[in-house]
Amino acid sequence: MDMNFTADSSLAPSRWRKVAYGRMQPGYDDNHTDETFLEDMVMNANVVKRNMLKVMQDSVSISQYLCIVFLVVLVWIYTLRSTLNENSLLLLDISLLGSGFIILVLTEEMLSLKRLWNYVLSVSFFTTGLFVLAPIYQTLTRSISSDSIWAVTISLLLLHLFLHDYSGSTIRPSGALKNPNLTSCISLNASIVASVFIASRLPSRVHVFATMLFSLQIFLFAPLVTYCIKKYSFRLHLLFSLGLMAVTLTFVYSLHCLLFVLLVGILIFVNVVCPYWLIRIQEYKFEINGPWDEAKLCFDITD
Amino acid sequence: MADLKHRILMVSDFFYPNFGGVENHIYYLSQCLLKLGHKVVVLTHAYGNRSGVRYMTGGLKVYYVPWRPFLMQNTFPTIYGTFPIIRTILLREKISLVHGHQAFSTLCHETLMHARTMGYKVVFTDHSLYGFADVGSIHMNKVLQFTLADVTRAICVSHTSKENTVLRSGLPPEKVFVIPNAVDTAMFKPAQQRLGRDEIVIVVISRLVYRKGADLLVEVIPEVCRLYPNVRFIVGGDGPKRVRLEEMREKHSLQDRVEMLGAVPHASVRSVLISGHIFLNSSLTEAFCIAILEAASCGLLTVSTRVGGVPEVLPDDMIVLAEPDPSDMVHAIRKAISILPNIDPQVMHDRMKRLYNWNDVAERTEIVYNRALKCSDQSLLERLSRYLSCGAWAGKLFCLVMIIDFLIWRLLELLQVLSFGSKLDGNT
Repeated sequence: MDMNFTADSSLAPSRWRKVAYGRMQPGYDDNHTDETFLEDMVMNANVVKRNMLKVMQDSVSISQYLCIVFLVVLVWIYTLRSTLNENSLLLLDISLLGSGFIILVLTEEMLSLKRLWNYVLSVSFFTTGLFVLAPIYQTLTRSISSDSIWAVTISLLLLHLFLHDYSGSTIRPSGALKNPNLTSCISLNASIVASVFIASRLPSRVHVFATMLFSLQIFLFAPLVTYCIKKYSFRLHLLFSLGLMAVTLTFVYSLHCLLFVLLVGILIFVNVVCPYWLIRIQEYKFEINGPWDEAKLCFDITD
Repeated sequence: MADLKHRILMVSDFFYPNFGGVENHIYYLSQCLLKLGHKVVVLTHAYGNRSGVRYMTGGLKVYYVPWRPFLMQNTFPTIYGTFPIIRTILLREKISLVHGHQAFSTLCHETLMHARTMGYKVVFTDHSLYGFADVGSIHMNKVLQFTLADVTRAICVSHTSKENTVLRSGLPPEKVFVIPNAVDTAMFKPAQQRLGRDEIVIVVISRLVYRKGADLLVEVIPEVCRLYPNVRFIVGGDGPKRVRLEEMREKHSLQDRVEMLGAVPHASVRSVLISGHIFLNSSLTEAFCIAILEAASCGLLTVSTRVGGVPEVLPDDMIVLAEPDPSDMVHAIRKAISILPNIDPQVMHDRMKRLYNWNDVAERTEIVYNRALKCSDQSLLERLSRYLSCGAWAGKLFCLVMIIDFLIWRLLELLQVLSFGSKLDGNT
């Protein structure tokens, strides 16, 4: 390239400007990198620093729900083995419904007769519908072998656990802000289908009704009840979860030793190992923002 | 200054008969390089039944290789399937340098990879900005990191784009040159007669999609029409958000104040532009906005959102910038209307002729080519060490891909020697 010295090279070279117009800036190559390079970059602007104790306390919600699911599976196993007969199952259902109701009423801030009546009405519709449909469920899987049923049920329950929304509740308490998202709806459906499959293995219509009522009221309403407890008092939530874990561990121990070891392992993993791991890998978080980001609209798009 | 004349292969999925930023850039750059005495060949995929070898103005040879585009104008990524034809083209045209365009083009990535395996020098131009946070961007950035791990030189269209590319690919900044796009000022001349000032016309020409800020338009247009009874809008372009704009028009009864033209063919853009005083650009992200250059060349005052590389494109007296917020944009339009009497379209056009010129772009690109060709050749092992630094798992995967590419190249060479030998035997 020929030299760019001109007659008035006694003038100081002009400052480099961060502009794209004009020809090549005299005295500077096109690949000139100024000190202002990347000065508008912002790193880790929205990152929240996490505390180990708080993360462990938050992970209690997950282990609480895991214990609930384990208890449901236990009840299914006892029913299938005829250890639990239909009358005691019905008693269990009614007592669970009653206690759930009481907890909802006690933890609700605004107690209104109208809302209470709404709850009672919807629960009675639901129960009547189940009673009417019970004969259909009983003969649903008669032609399918038991092994397929256990395999499908276990995969559906795993899917349910993976996609479940642990922070809130799919069945919205009135006044909740967020709509349930797709994955929580899929997980709810998976759990309902799993309960239908198990119920269809049972001998009599009353068995089917009792088991379906039990499974559905746990899967549909237990997240709502635990969410109300958590909202009301965090200490109560912790105590409730610890009690639930103790009860589950006792029952699983009396059932099968290997399952007990598995449950203990899962609980330790969820409550201790995962929070520690999360905090360790948070150090590597590298969030980059700058003028190249797509602008965010500050208003909602209403169609 | 008898510089060497190069034989350049331009590669991209995006070329004529499509119209767009990348397509026009490749076309104009190739034409100006041809004028400078270099030889340029373009490689792209077939468009409909436009397939085979075509010649365009100035002797520009275009290879429309018969592959179908499968997603958003991109050819299906077969990684090694494109090697034989690319090798044939490179050898037949005696190419000295390969220039790929646009990070989103699979054909570009594959060709650059094969060209590097065969030992050619390679230049890459990035035309867009990408984020870092969503799944699509993370994968795209990894692919870009692979291609740019071994590129000889890179070109970006604005300084913001250079920062973005350097962060995404991990290239050293000295390897990246900033050469902006330009505009064909001979095609975009202002109107013969200056427009009357009693009615102010604001022109919008863009694809009506989320990315180009069509939702901002829906908020801004009714407000401006309410505040200024003598302002009229002309909206050209089509897209999924057109329905929202039509609804806005119905809701506020602006049928006589907002004219919707639908899709505007590239040849008619100038006639739409010269019917207005102000050009409004509401995009949410732009590496470099050529639409603004075209409007300024036609003598319109520009109002734009301050995103990406837009603040670098025009001097401060030819553009009014606003945050991507409806109230701020209305404020900017008010400011633009107040400085409109001081604007002379012909003066603006003459200034644009001095500020942006495709011949200048071609000369600066020629400098990049000269620098690239002066770089030393590298053996396979040296190149593999560059790929290894791309990541713990990705580095090893990339090395494996390049080793297989090298082996396929050797196989193709061997097959050619064998077939040549058998032809000789057949002749004797």
